[in-house]
Order: sequence, then structure tokens, then C-alpha cells
Amino acid sequence: MDMSGEYRIAAPIQTVWDAIQNPDILRGAIPGCEELEKTSDTDMTAKVSLKIGPVKAKFSGDVTLKDMVAPNALKIEGEGKGGIAGFAKGGADVQLAEDGDETILTYQAEAQVGGKIAQLGSRLIQSTAAKLADKFFANLKGELEEA
Amino acid sequence: MTDQGIGARVLRKEDKRFITGKGKYTDDIVQPNQAYAAFVRSPHAHANVKSIDASAAEAMDGVEAVLNGHQLTGDAIGNIICGWGITSKDGSPMNMGAWSALATEKVRYVGDAVAVVIADSKAQAQAAAEAVMVEYEVLPATSNVRDSMKEGAPQIHENAPGNQIFDWEIGNKDETDAALASAHHTTTMDITNNRLSPNPMEPRSAVATFDESEDHYTLYTTSQNPHVARLVLSAFYNVAPEHKLRVIAPDVGGGFGAKIYIYPEEIVCLWASMKTNRSVKWTSTRSEAFLTDAHGRDHVSTATMGFDADNNIVGFKINTKANLGAYMSLFSSSVPTYLYATLLSGQYNIANVYCDVQTYYTNTVPVDAYRGAGRPEASYLVERMMETAARELGVDPGELRRQNFVREFPHQTPVIMAYDSGDFAGNLDQAKAAADVAGFAARKEEAAKRGKLRGMGYSNYIEACGIAPSAAVGSLGAGVGLWESAEVRVNPVGTIEILTGSHSHGQGHETTFAQLVSERFDLPTENIQIVHGDTDKVQFGMGTYGSRSGAVGMSAISKALDKVEAKVKKIAAHVLEAAEDDIVIEGGEVKVKGTDKAMGWHEVGLSAYTAHNLPEGMEPGLKEGAFYDPTNFTFPAGCYICEVEVDPQTGVTEIVQFTASDDFGTIINPMIVEGQVHGGIAQGIGQAMLEHAVYDDDGQLLSGSYMDYCMPRADDVPNYTVSHHSTTCPGNPLGMKGCGEAGAIGSPPAVINAITDAIGNNNLSMPATPSRVWAALQQVSAAQAAE
Amino acid sequence: MTKVSMTVNGKARSVEVPDNTLLVDYIRENLRLTGTHVGCDTSQCGACVVHVDGQAVKSCTMLAAAAEGAEVTTIEGVAASKDDLHPMQVAFKENHGLQCGFCTPGMIMAATDMVSRYKAAGKTLDEPAIREELEGNICRCTGYHNIVKAIADGASKMA
Repeated sequence: MDMSGEYRIAAPIQTVWDAIQNPDILRGAIPGCEELEKTSDTDMTAKVSLKIGPVKAKFSGDVTLKDMVAPNALKIEGEGKGGIAGFAKGGADVQLAEDGDETILTYQAEAQVGGKIAQLGSRLIQSTAAKLADKFFANLKGELEEA
Repeated sequence: MTDQGIGARVLRKEDKRFITGKGKYTDDIVQPNQAYAAFVRSPHAHANVKSIDASAAEAMDGVEAVLNGHQLTGDAIGNIICGWGITSKDGSPMNMGAWSALATEKVRYVGDAVAVVIADSKAQAQAAAEAVMVEYEVLPATSNVRDSMKEGAPQIHENAPGNQIFDWEIGNKDETDAALASAHHTTTMDITNNRLSPNPMEPRSAVATFDESEDHYTLYTTSQNPHVARLVLSAFYNVAPEHKLRVIAPDVGGGFGAKIYIYPEEIVCLWASMKTNRSVKWTSTRSEAFLTDAHGRDHVSTATMGFDADNNIVGFKINTKANLGAYMSLFSSSVPTYLYATLLSGQYNIANVYCDVQTYYTNTVPVDAYRGAGRPEASYLVERMMETAARELGVDPGELRRQNFVREFPHQTPVIMAYDSGDFAGNLDQAKAAADVAGFAARKEEAAKRGKLRGMGYSNYIEACGIAPSAAVGSLGAGVGLWESAEVRVNPVGTIEILTGSHSHGQGHETTFAQLVSERFDLPTENIQIVHGDTDKVQFGMGTYGSRSGAVGMSAISKALDKVEAKVKKIAAHVLEAAEDDIVIEGGEVKVKGTDKAMGWHEVGLSAYTAHNLPEGMEPGLKEGAFYDPTNFTFPAGCYICEVEVDPQTGVTEIVQFTASDDFGTIINPMIVEGQVHGGIAQGIGQAMLEHAVYDDDGQLLSGSYMDYCMPRADDVPNYTVSHHSTTCPGNPLGMKGCGEAGAIGSPPAVINAITDAIGNNNLSMPATPSRVWAALQQVSAAQAAE
Repeated sequence: MTKVSMTVNGKARSVEVPDNTLLVDYIRENLRLTGTHVGCDTSQCGACVVHVDGQAVKSCTMLAAAAEGAEVTTIEGVAASKDDLHPMQVAFKENHGLQCGFCTPGMIMAATDMVSRYKAAGKTLDEPAIREELEGNICRCTGYHNIVKAIADGASKMA
């Protein structure tokens, strides 16, 4: 299950780069995010509420930033447990490119689910995950452009 | 004579309780002081269990206990075993991996249980199960044979290098190779038999009660074979000694193989009942059933069939790779071997057959027998090969079969089986006439005018039922004997109880078994009661699977009836002062032939129990038992013809006609036999067009509910035209062959042969969904465009 | 906990149950009417069909509390009296429309409902209509052949 997309963000590359690592901005951008705390420069813990098909669950897990090449590239990885609903994990490779005062963000994301969500929601995972990934980057753009 | 004997369409005695909602299934049973079990199951296909933290769950309302696998093994509960040993080509035994009812170190499929919560209510147990925190170290997983056999694949069991369980062969390789090398024409195909989930409508359930005062256990469970369950629970799983364990399988809502096996949940409920000193009930949800009921089929094969210049088959060579899942289930090893490869000669006279089979572990639920068990896989392979070969040779598929039919019996095949009887050409002719094969060309033309592609496909299946004799199956590796037992009790008032080791879970034994007695003693079936499914009532039995209850179970009853009849005649001859040979039993009386001397049937019963006037030295009472071990398998066979219409725009396929001609030997109740065939055909159509148990590459089950696993609905299947053309089975006293699985064995190749005929492309796999059929049609168009 | 009251098979019943109790559990566990079955957990199989105020309902999809005050009929109450059988019950027996019996109560309840609906609408309940109407009821034993026959026969007997 792979997803990708591209956004033009009306903010300089350094602003975008900083924002991606800012827990306050991430909290607002991750769909369904209820809590997000930074535990180190690259590690965060999060609680996210998601609905996939007939299964609605609250996931608690970790978000990690990896392979950072400031200010051009990084990888965001997340992994969460949803109790009896199963688990979800995923990641996104993010590239930032400067275009005048603006920044072009591209991403390739992948997601994997297991347990009840996979069993009952498998038909909907692809579309739901693609929508969630897109919503995350759209929210990020929104937060940055508002600010 | 009674009109309720052999061959009569007697309405079922058991129906009244089912149509009024009074059936008694396991989940309907409530014991005093009953608690509920909920299992904590792995969401990962393959992982090490690092820790289990039950503290939060234990503190929750109503929770009696949270138990894990270390406690289970600590109490010396044994590992779950496979009861049929298979020896590899090189003489080594199969690599059976350890399977604990609750996983301790490692989980190997999604749904593998690691702990159980026992609580006052179902809701409390489920809530607490969610609160058990299990820490997993996730390992790479494999969900199919292709990945399991790769170098560097995740190792599922330490004792099975490369995940291989065994590498087995049957037949003569060198002679088959030589025959194929010299063949005038060869047909080669890659054939996949899709993985299925059995789905009896009643989910599995267990209610276990430990009685501390007697050190005694009672288990109500959804089993096809309660005595085998008791034996295995006692001898191998060490739950309780046999004389301290009563297993009752009450009304059971369908089995289809899935309820043969003794599952972890039954073991755990019994053990937990002892641990908590409460009755413990567990009933599977459908979601759990998809994850944990043994699946069926899942074979990948390559086959080559060779013909001489006159289109006679000269050799048949097959390689099959079978997925047995994460653990070896009870009969799993026998399915892709002795229940499969021994039928690869089909209905045909083939001098040389060779098959080798490799089986593998994967991170999926165990795979075991499902309606037909090995025989559907064999019949699908043979009959697709025959149809494809006929197309390649440019001959009529029915006639290619006819010319190669076995015609003389007994017939020894190169793959163990000795066919005892049959009239394959008779079944072919009967089916062709009923299906109006002669009118097919006109129907095809008419369909074409409506824009539809019409196709017809044959399947001439043969299968083997009533696996026996015990000594023979023992020599092939079976851990049990496959006889059956019966006891006939004639009460002092003349009513009769038949105790049988067979188990009815939809087959209508309460009716057909009574018909057998009615026929013998000319008594109405309402005076005859069938008792089954309780180890305290019936001493021992092997249960119902493999279409064995008629040929084996009823033969045992027949043998016991012989003994009762002999004693009745002795008593009557003594009382009526006549010769035993002159005594006849009819019309509710026991009479002296050609005279008006007679006693009522009930008077003979009463005489046996008052014992006032019995022959010298005769014991009182009228109760006889028999254990019957057949001399051979039985060989039901038949011809199925399917006709379909495909919409070339969408690939949507409709079955417009399905015709069956079966040879089941003696038929006791045609109504019930037809019902068995209907149901079998529907399951076969399900396999051919709708059903597929799918795991993703990480071992997550994607077809885990009725939203994603496509069960046949009423509007997916046609009316069936079912007829019989029978030869008598010489191997048992009743001449019966078995009818329970034939429909599911014979129908898939007929359906696929019809669709491939319609679309003009042999490259089509089950299930033939509209998208697959459409894709196959596009291949044809692309090939035509290229020309 | 909520006190839920309804009339089941003509009898007034009232039980205190947790708020999230499903109608099927109320019927099976609280009233001990075990003829209504549970064959799935996604509302597809139809083994749990009962009539609520004269309409067929999958009792696994409805909260007991939502049936407060309703008239509920289960398989145990479908016949006119204890010694009688409903014509649809008779038709299932006479046409061998059942094998293991597990789906049967739901089938019979769905069947009587479809006959009434078609009759009320003045529509013909022919074989294709019966097959289509059975979309929500799964049987694994019979291959549907005899169920379809039974419903057609039962429909004529209900006339």
C-alpha cells in the first residue's frame, strides 16, 4: 500500500523544515491526533483516534523522525497499538525543495495495519490511508500558510 | 411392509425441534456457576512474545482469572498433535512443530491465543481481554508456500528447516517419465486450488464443567466426533483421564470438516474450569472463526498428462505444494497425501501415475480437511486436465473421457486405490441426457444473439469414502482406526434405541438410521430412537467425516441388527415351537412362515426381559453391539455437467444449468441424499466462483468477515438437476458408497470447464470472479489482435 | 443498566439489562429463547432474524432498548398455538428445506415477512424474487434449492 503526493507551500523551506519537527504543528496536522509529546529531538509519543471501515480505535504509539538531511529530506515513522482493534504503522519519505519564497513538498508514504482493522476494514484501508496521508500534508500546509 | 424403509423419502424426524427453535446447540446451554472465556489473540502473524501484563485486566470487575501458556504447560497440558504420520521420500518422519493451546514464546499466526480471561459475563471477559497488555517483538512473516520455500524465508518452527514439513511421493516416477517422454501429445497446466474457510453457520463453542467432588469433567462442544475428542483430550493433551471426562456434542450446526479437530479453545476451557472451579463457556464470534477455524485446500500444482496417438492416456505426473498453515492440525498431513494423490487416476485407466507433494508451514491458520478433503483438489486437477487435453486434441471432452474410463472392476490404480465398482459411462450418459447436451449448440447460438457467451463443462469425479480398513490406514500412518460401532437396544415394550458412534450435524441420521431398522424389522420409524453424540451413552465411535456414516456407521448398525434378529428368531422359535429358519419378522409380528402362529414384536421384547421362557442357556435381555471395520474404501463417482453464460462486457457469469448424475450405491433416503448433493454443489460453486481466504504478504487475513469472504447466497446458485445411476458397493453389507462430499468434489471443475469453454481461454483460476473472467477475456482479445 | 420492557411472543417481558445489550442477547440470554441464533458479527448471516412490530429485523443490529414497548415475535412464537406449526414451518419440513437447522429460524422468520410484504404490495413472490429476498440469509448446508422451494410452498400455504 503506497501513496504519494505533492504540495506547494507558501513559506520558506527553513520554516517548513522547522514546522515538521514542531510537536504543536504536528499535533494539529495529524488527523485525529489527541496528544503528542516530544521525548527527544527526534522522538515523540502520540495518541491518535482513527476510524477505518467499521472499526474505530484509539491508537497510542510513537512517532520518530529519521534520516534527516536539513532542510531537504527526512523520514517520519509512526507505529501505534489500538488494543483489540490491532495495530497500525506507517512512514513517509518527505522531500522539500526551494522555489523562490515557496517550498515544494513531495512525499511517498506507506502504511501497514494488522489485527481486527485488517480483518474487517481491508477493503477500505487503501483509500482511508491515502486520504489520511493527504490530509496530514494538507493540514501542514494549512497551518503554515495561516501562520 | 413398512413404507419407511430403505429407499423411502421419509420426512426428517429431527426437523420438528429445528423449525420450532427448540434445537439444542452448545451455545444454548447454560451451566450453574458459569463463567465466560475471552481469548487474547495475537494481531501479528509472527512474533516473539516478550511479556504479558495482566495486572490491569485482573483488577477489572467480574474477572475471575487471567491465564497464560506458561501456566498451561506448567500444569502438564500437552501440545496439540497431528494424528497422521507421513514419511518423506528419504525415509525421514514429518517435521511436526510444537503447538501449545496458549502460545508461550512465540505466536505464529494472526489469532494465535496467548492468554485467556475468565469472567462473570461475556462483556466483562471481552473488556478484560482488551486490557491484557502483550508486548511482541514482531518477526517477518510468510503467508504462502511460494514465500515459505524461498531461501532466507522466516523460520516458523525450529525443527522444520526451510519450513518444509515433508516431501512425499506416490506412484512410479521412472515409468511415468518414460511414458510421458514417448507420448504423442502432452498437456501441461499450472493449477491452483484456492484456500477456503469452511464456515459452518454455527460458530464453534465449548462449555466445560469441572466437578471437584468427583474429579470429573464434562465438555459440551461443537464436535463431529466427540469420542475422538475425548480420546485426544485425554491421551495426548492430558486434560483428564478418559473415564473422568464426558464429551457431549449436542445439536451441531454444520461441520464440513472444521469441527473434526480438537482446538485450543476446548482444551483451555476444560483446564480453566479446573483452575477456577467454575463452568467455563466460550463461543466463537464469526471474526474469530475466520481467524481460527482450520481452513481448507490451498494447493499449487503443476501437472502433465500424456496421450498416445489414439488419445489413450499413457501417463500422468503431478507436483503439488501444499500450505498447512502455522501448525499441523489433527489430520492435516493426510489431506494432501493419502486423501488426494491416491485419487489422481480419476475415473481413468492410466498405467503410470506419479505425484510428489511438498508441504510447508506458513504464518496462517492451520489447514486441514474441508468437505472433500484432498479429493476435491484431485478431481479439480484431473478434470481440468481432461477438458483442456480434449480441447488441445480437438475431440469431444465427454468422449475423450469415455474412451479412457475404467470399465472392469476391481481395478487397481498405480496410486494404491482398488476401485471396486462403478459404471462411469452410465453416469456420463445419464448426465448428458438430462443436460440435453445435444441441444447445447442451439442454446449457445441463441445466447450469442443476446450478447452472451455460453459454455459447457464436464466433470467426471471419483472419490473415496469410508476410509478403511483400520489395519490399512494404520500402515499408511493414521493414528486411529476407522471402524464404527453401534449398539441396538430393544426395550421390553419393543421400542428400539440405536446407539451409534456416528454424529449427525445436518445429515439426518435420526431419520435414515431409523429407516434401516424400520426396513429390517418392519416397524414404524417413530418407534426407533437414534442416540449419538454423548460419550456417556455411546461407548465409543469414530464420528462423522469423509462421508463415512452410511457405509461404515450404518453397516455397524446392520451388523448389530443381525445379532438382534438372530436372537429374536431364537426366542420366537422357542416360544412358538418352530424351526428358527421358518421365523419371519413382518407387520409388527414375529411369525412362523406359512402358519398363523405369531407373537407381537413387543411380546418378543418382553419375553427377552421377563426371561420366563427362554431357550436353554440363553442370556436374558435384547441388546447387541457391533464394531464394523470395512474391507475397503468405497468409491462414489459421477458425472456433473455445468452450463454458464458469461457477459463479455463485465465478466459476470451466471450458471444457467447444473446437472448431476451420481453413483452412491444403495440410497436409504433419496430426499436427504439429494439435499446433500445440493449443498455440496453450492459449496463447490462457492469455491469455483466466489470464495477465497486471502492473507496479505504480512500474514494479515483480509477475508475475515462475510463482507469480504463471499459465501454463496441464494441468488448466486441455480436449481440443480440431480439424478442417480448406481452400482452396488461390494465392500459393505448395505452396498452404500457415501454422498456427503461428492457435490463439493465434483462441481468446481465442471464450473471452471464451462467458463473456460465460454470465454475460449483455459487460463483461469478459482474463484472465477467477474474481474478474473473479464481479464481472461481480454487476454483472448489481445491474442486475437496480435494475430 | 436500563429496564427494558417489550411483548415477546404475546407475553409482556421486562428485564434490567446493560444499556448496550443487543436485542438478540436480550432474547437469548435474558429471556432464554434460544431459537434465535447468532451466526456472524457483521449483520450478514440472518440467523438472528425476528419480527419487531411485524417487520423482519436482524436482532443483532438493534439494541434491546430500541425495542422498548415493541411487539416482538421469535421462531418460538410464530405458530398460532403451542401444538400448531406455522404453514412456513411445515413447508420447510415437507420440502427438506433444512439440514443442520442453525440458519432455519432466521430463514423462516425472513420467509414469513417476505410473503406478507409481497402480499401487501400485491406483488408475485416468484423464484427469482425469493432468491433475491434471501440476500441477507446465509445457509451453508442446503445449497438453497429446497429453501426456495419451501418458501414458495409456504407462501401458497399462507394464502
